[in-house]
Amino acid sequence: MFNAIVSADTLRTALDSVSVLVEECKLRLEEDGLEIRAVDPANVGMVDLSLSAAAFESYETDGGVIGVNLSRLEDIAGMAEADQLIHLELDEETRKLEIAIDGLEYTLALIDPDSIRQEPDLPDLDLAAEIILEGRDVNRAVKASDMVSDHIALGVDEAEDMFYVDAEGDTDDVHFELGREDLIDLTAGPARSLFSLDYLKDMNKAIPSDAEVRMELGEEFPVKMHFDIAEGQGTVTYMLAPRVQSD
Amino acid sequence: MGNADLRDIAAIESIAFEELAGSVVAVDAHNWLYRYLTTTVKWTNDTVYTTAEGDEVANLVGVIQGLPKFFEHEVTPVMVFDGAVTDLKDDEVQRRREQRERYEDDLEDAREEGDAVRVARLESRTQRLTDVILETTRDLLELLDVPVIDAPAEGEGQAAHMARQGDVDYVGTEDYDALLFGAPRTLRQLTSKGDPELMDFQATLTEHDLSWEQLVDVALLCGTDFNEGVRGYGPKTAVKAVKEHGDLWGVSEAEDVYVENADRIRELFLDPAVTDDYSFETSIEPDLDAARSFVTEEWEVDPDEVERGFERIESSVVQTGLDDWA
Repeated sequence: MFNAIVSADTLRTALDSVSVLVEECKLRLEEDGLEIRAVDPANVGMVDLSLSAAAFESYETDGGVIGVNLSRLEDIAGMAEADQLIHLELDEETRKLEIAIDGLEYTLALIDPDSIRQEPDLPDLDLAAEIILEGRDVNRAVKASDMVSDHIALGVDEAEDMFYVDAEGDTDDVHFELGREDLIDLTAGPARSLFSLDYLKDMNKAIPSDAEVRMELGEEFPVKMHFDIAEGQGTVTYMLAPRVQSD
Repeated sequence: MGNADLRDIAAIESIAFEELAGSVVAVDAHNWLYRYLTTTVKWTNDTVYTTAEGDEVANLVGVIQGLPKFFEHEVTPVMVFDGAVTDLKDDEVQRRREQRERYEDDLEDAREEGDAVRVARLESRTQRLTDVILETTRDLLELLDVPVIDAPAEGEGQAAHMARQGDVDYVGTEDYDALLFGAPRTLRQLTSKGDPELMDFQATLTEHDLSWEQLVDVALLCGTDFNEGVRGYGPKTAVKAVKEHGDLWGVSEAEDVYVENADRIRELFLDPAVTDDYSFETSIEPDLDAARSFVTEEWEVDPDEVERGFERIESSVVQTGLDDWA
């Protein structure tokens, strides 16, 4: 059983943060909210989302897992105005999701969850540095780097007590520094890793500019980025595997 | 440099560099080098790239700037150099020489007038692959352990042959002529920022319902490096005409047009002079110290110009997967 009402805005924000990485995903219907964990086909980027029952106008379920085509669901959610309510109800018999936006009804065929790529376990990483910064600064770093290169180094300079971003292109460079006073918080530690901008660009799209992003970074380790959505009633964690020296 | 008209009928799509990881690309070395030479010297001071003896060696900077792109994406380049100039191409060579002489005259004028931007532009057009450029490029590639293959004639024809044999995955060139040589999959824009384009031979033929021979006939009507096109025949008209009349001779007869040396040019594309006598290793182990001293000491290039490229080669990186960390 699953029966929920949620604002279009909240649903869209949640779906967008997942759809930047995957086409299809499993929705875990937990009693205290909705959970999605998905990894992209290349196994490079992962998203872990939870949307608490409090983010919904109403939320009822006795548990279960359903598989959905995200772009289909996003298209439907896109039919609603931001403040309109979307009613989701699982038809146990037909295994279809009934979606209603005022008078508009849409019956969405579900995907067999077993056919969807298995989500990985979250690796237990020892990431020495933690940077808390505004979403808009992540955006600036990614945007500027994208002008010159297709990869980006994120690091912490312990001596200078700052977070930095380096992008080196064929001809041009970008360097971006954020000192302690520019950041919300900084736990300095040895950290520098290189990442594909293709992935970071996609993740960045889903990070609201006024969000507080908690970034965990290590020395040639995956990066984790955590931020809240739905006015604190939901959390998103992205994890991205680094590029490392080939030999 | 091939006829860009072919773009209108070629099946081309963008491909992400990431998808090329692990592949081998036979690169048309002259074409690749030429791109770097024109962009390297275009907006910068050419004294940096000229030795005390007056040899231009901007190519060395081009090589060091261009190779990291391959290495960083785990792509192995195999550089294929042109052999003898095909005699039919004399016209094209002659034409380019005349054009260059014109540019050189313009360049004189621009220098006298003190028009720096115009000087820079014209300098890039008067670039040519001198013997010094070709020799030093080969020496540097050797130090960097990048495979080099000598084509008996056109480098592109040889590269296409290697791809048809399945010995390499792609041909790398900006030149649309790769299609005429039957290169199954050609990567364009390997020298640009961003993702390259993939030009697909079979998809091109299928899309227009043409045979390879007919595709070459279409090109002959539009013009190639070896012949002037026939006035009034753009790619679409040419495709239509060739399909309607079967081949070039059918078109010649029915529409009263004439392409000089058509037989021989056709043969150049369909059955180019190539060799099977080649071998290369795909594991590359550059001697960076030797390459550095070759470029900056022996050929006097300002170390600042190449240091970044060397660093990028040194730290060529690969994408890991999340499962590597579990």
